[in-house]
Amino acid sequence: MTNLRPTIRKATSLLRHLNSPHRAHSTSVSADELSHFSSLANSWWDPMGPSRVLHLMNPLRHDFIASCLFDSLPPPRASAPETSTPVNNLRYLDVGCGGGIFAESLARTIPTNANSPSQTVTQAASITAIDPTSALIKIARDHARMDPKVEAHLRDGKFTYKNCTLEDIVASQRETPEDEKFDIVTLFEVLEHVDSNAASSPLAFLTNCLRVLRPGGWLVGSTIARTFPSFLVNQVIAEAPWPIGVVPRGTHEWSKFVNPDELYAWAQEGLMRSQDGASLRAGGDALQGMRWKCSGVMYFPGIGWKLVPGSENWGNYFWAIRKGL
Amino acid sequence: MRPFTRSALRPYVCPSCRSGRLVGRRRFGSKPDQAPDVYDVVCVGGGPAGLGLLAALRASPLTSKLRVALIETQDLQKARAWSLDSQHFSNRVSSLTPSSVSFLKKIGAWEHLDTDRAQEYQEMQVWDGETDSRITFDWSADTSPFENLPTVATMTENANLVRGLLSRIAASGDENISIFSNTTVSSIENGTDHPDGPDLSAWPVLSLAPNGTAQSQLPTRIAARLLVGADGINSPVRRFADIATEGWDYNRHGVVATLSLADPDQVSFPIGTRTAYQRFLPSLGGPVALLPLPNNHATLVWSTTVENAAYLKSLSPKAFIAMVNAAFRLSMTDLKYMMRMERPANSASDYEDLHESELTWRLQHTPQASQVPPMVNGVQEGSVASFPLRFRHASTYISPRVALVGDAAHVIHPLAGQGLNLGMGDVASLSKTIEYAVDHGMDIGDILSLEKYTAERWAVNAKIGGVCDMLHKLYNVPGHGPVAWGRSLGLEIIDRLPFVKGFLMKNAEG
Repeated sequence: MTNLRPTIRKATSLLRHLNSPHRAHSTSVSADELSHFSSLANSWWDPMGPSRVLHLMNPLRHDFIASCLFDSLPPPRASAPETSTPVNNLRYLDVGCGGGIFAESLARTIPTNANSPSQTVTQAASITAIDPTSALIKIARDHARMDPKVEAHLRDGKFTYKNCTLEDIVASQRETPEDEKFDIVTLFEVLEHVDSNAASSPLAFLTNCLRVLRPGGWLVGSTIARTFPSFLVNQVIAEAPWPIGVVPRGTHEWSKFVNPDELYAWAQEGLMRSQDGASLRAGGDALQGMRWKCSGVMYFPGIGWKLVPGSENWGNYFWAIRKGL
Repeated sequence: MRPFTRSALRPYVCPSCRSGRLVGRRRFGSKPDQAPDVYDVVCVGGGPAGLGLLAALRASPLTSKLRVALIETQDLQKARAWSLDSQHFSNRVSSLTPSSVSFLKKIGAWEHLDTDRAQEYQEMQVWDGETDSRITFDWSADTSPFENLPTVATMTENANLVRGLLSRIAASGDENISIFSNTTVSSIENGTDHPDGPDLSAWPVLSLAPNGTAQSQLPTRIAARLLVGADGINSPVRRFADIATEGWDYNRHGVVATLSLADPDQVSFPIGTRTAYQRFLPSLGGPVALLPLPNNHATLVWSTTVENAAYLKSLSPKAFIAMVNAAFRLSMTDLKYMMRMERPANSASDYEDLHESELTWRLQHTPQASQVPPMVNGVQEGSVASFPLRFRHASTYISPRVALVGDAAHVIHPLAGQGLNLGMGDVASLSKTIEYAVDHGMDIGDILSLEKYTAERWAVNAKIGGVCDMLHKLYNVPGHGPVAWGRSLGLEIIDRLPFVKGFLMKNAEG
């Protein structure tokens, strides 16, 4: 019955629908967006191509995750062996990995040698990256093979690409103990491509993300606020013809953007829903130990992305939710 | 300035087209297929820039775990064993700016140098041989009279620097590092897709060949995540990456020599202050500079025409010394005359040298400038040499999985002593770029990681190279015409405006 469950798809998953026999169910996507994103797939990894701005943002994702871990580190697992030196021991899930820009960069920070005494800022020990679009997963896998270090992680299982939906992960983790779930779930540039209708909603999507997160873990993401400045920046300027525009026309739909206050409300609601039992509903207790982080980022042509605290409502921003212990 | 402008106005090719164009062309020799040994950074060239990069990478905790290799054609064992007594100096000496020195200190290399052989100077006298207008560079405007004058630059033998860097690298251990000395790169080409392993089709793979005496356990093929070209003006790495380079030859040679000086007439104040001297000789093709070395020695860099350079090199030591002393004292007319004097057929030293007596006689009839260097009284045997002066600038310093540093990226006129410092600046910037990339999970060979480096360095190097080129051209106009008048006025004005001078000095420092 999985195909009747509310499914949320990100824009980057559109290719699947092109080939999918279940196209009738893909209520969250329009034909226009379909052709738009399929045309981008080939140039996903071109540093000078249409995804350039997305590539430039990637280092900031590492910085933001590092700042979350600095605030509060997920506690070591009961099953984890005692070590005298700090090691990378966090398990990551990247939802909607697309062509793998973030997933591959995170995989590169996983030490090849388990005894390596150094610890990286993101403390990644493994990463599972999922996307429902088989074409994008193929692009991601092909690109990962071009780096021997990342390729080695693909082979030893520290780095996995899965062509599946978030719901598949939720279903497969139904029996998993809380402590064995993911330490960090990432959701970069996904939420603003989710439709709100009878079949899907950002809230349901967030709830599922929180379901696969272990207590003390972080759900980290980035999205765009739905305000007048963001309309001007993202719709008018960013999608303007070359040389002003930096994003391909039709990438974003302003009405789907998410404001920080909406997201905060969904995060609370999602935390409660994700801990609902079969018969018992979790109440405000689910919010114990919750943390909320939000930081605006801005793109300056010629300089790049910069964290600009206080600019959350202007456009792009990073956000993070910590699930209480 | 014409060729320089031309390089700036080259038809624009967007970077993605350029990288697309590369794929088919990247090839330099060829070799059959076998699985290569994979390194993170492979540096071709073991000069100050290449070794500096390696030392910097080994010094940072973020990059010290990278697997690095260095390939050098020369025998580095000779460079490690280099040694001279305190009265002899190599003729290849560079002036390190304070920012270069602080970079070397930061990477822990400075303490591996023999600093007794390095000489700081706190003042620089520059004047125009045609008009005698003068400018003095020192930091006195920025410091109170009660402190010691800060250093303008530090004279260091290149051999001392290279030995120090090698020693610093050796001190970082031998884990994850391979130094292939006495080894040539016989070819560079793109790797292949290994169906059961990684796809290296966009990775540069180098074939190595031992030089002369065969070395054991030398891997023949190594793949580079990032291939660094520190391989000089004719960089094979640059050719592999198909990076265009613009430039011209100055048709000048730099004559170098190690000299010993007479005791100065007056004691310097504050005591221990040393001064560098540079006099522009427009009629002879370029400036002559005398830069201090320890124990009252100095190194000479005389940029002049090819014929003059050949003439100077052919002189007897006594005559050579007389010419150097003349170059800092006599008028252009006198100097030109002495440059044309017949060389005695028998260089018997018991006769008084012709140049020497000519200088003595002419000095009596020349009014003396207030600040001239002490008389040169000796030239170290075998230290007189010359090298051609050239200008080169690569159109970019990066290409996918390739970065250029030092002379492979730029060669400039030595009149401001900036060549090596630009290379050190490149190395500081590239190592910082690599650190950031490693910290953020970026591929260090990716254009996205490297573009920061070329953005940071290209314009700076173009500016300093361009200024040196402009000064060269300005000071090659002989006579007392409007150009000479204008440049002298400019020099006098700058000399009287401390903040302008301070700004220039800070800029020269990079």
